Amino acid sequence: MIAVLICQIVLSIVLASVFLIRPSLTHALGWKLLAFIGLFLLPAMCVVGGMNTHIQRSEQTRFCISCHVMIPYGQSLYLEDPAHIPAQHFQNHRVPVDTACYSCHADYTIYGPLKDKLQGLKRIYAQYVSTPPDPAAIRIAGGFKNAQCLHCHLGARNFEENAVHAALLDSLKSEQTSCLTSGCHDTAHDIANLSHLKFWRPAQ
Amino acid sequence: MRISEIGMGRFLRISSGLVILGLVLEIVSLLWFHPLSFVLFAFLAASAIGLGILLYLVSLVFVAPPP
Repeated sequence: MIAVLICQIVLSIVLASVFLIRPSLTHALGWKLLAFIGLFLLPAMCVVGGMNTHIQRSEQTRFCISCHVMIPYGQSLYLEDPAHIPAQHFQNHRVPVDTACYSCHADYTIYGPLKDKLQGLKRIYAQYVSTPPDPAAIRIAGGFKNAQCLHCHLGARNFEENAVHAALLDSLKSEQTSCLTSGCHDTAHDIANLSHLKFWRPAQ
Repeated sequence: MRISEIGMGRFLRISSGLVILGLVLEIVSLLWFHPLSFVLFAFLAASAIGLGILLYLVSLVFVAPPP
């Protein structure tokens, strides 16, 4: 996909170079059309394609952990103890391995991906301009929402047949009871204790 | 100086230069797997391309073609 986009960009550069060197060519009608393609249509398509590629890339697990402060969070996906919710989901492929972070931390609303990108830009600002945060002290703005769990679990048989879940379903949907902080599934990444915990080593 | 007095050739040179600069930066951002690559794309590459396109469109509207 990136190769196709790069070919399109190179073609656009070649066309734009023609008008950089010989702008007088645009006197003829055929060249006028070519100028419209080379200086408007193709570059606009390249920007749209580039934005799409960058947004898809930023959903990848390896993109998330390419930030220094996120490295311990990536390591926590390999914790041995199945009580750690992210590790259990990642190791058992309950979330796509390539987009594991995005699957649980995306805001599943119409402007969710845009809000996520703005949050990401704030983190980049903190990393390079302001003070980088301590990885163990990073908290999700507004707390982790049940909606992110219910996006997959709601309607699943093993979730709804669980007596506790069934009794608390309305409370979970309305965010009155938190999946994570109510004491039921309270072990998430546990970055502060990472050095004392055992890790799972995949066979491959 | 009025926009219409600036030659079409000059407009085309500047706009194609900006478009080329933006596209080269876009290639770099696509090949560089780093959190800053998105910043490079969104703030530098897309801005340069957008400005180049805008200049080209302005030249079409305001600059009269030579006789």
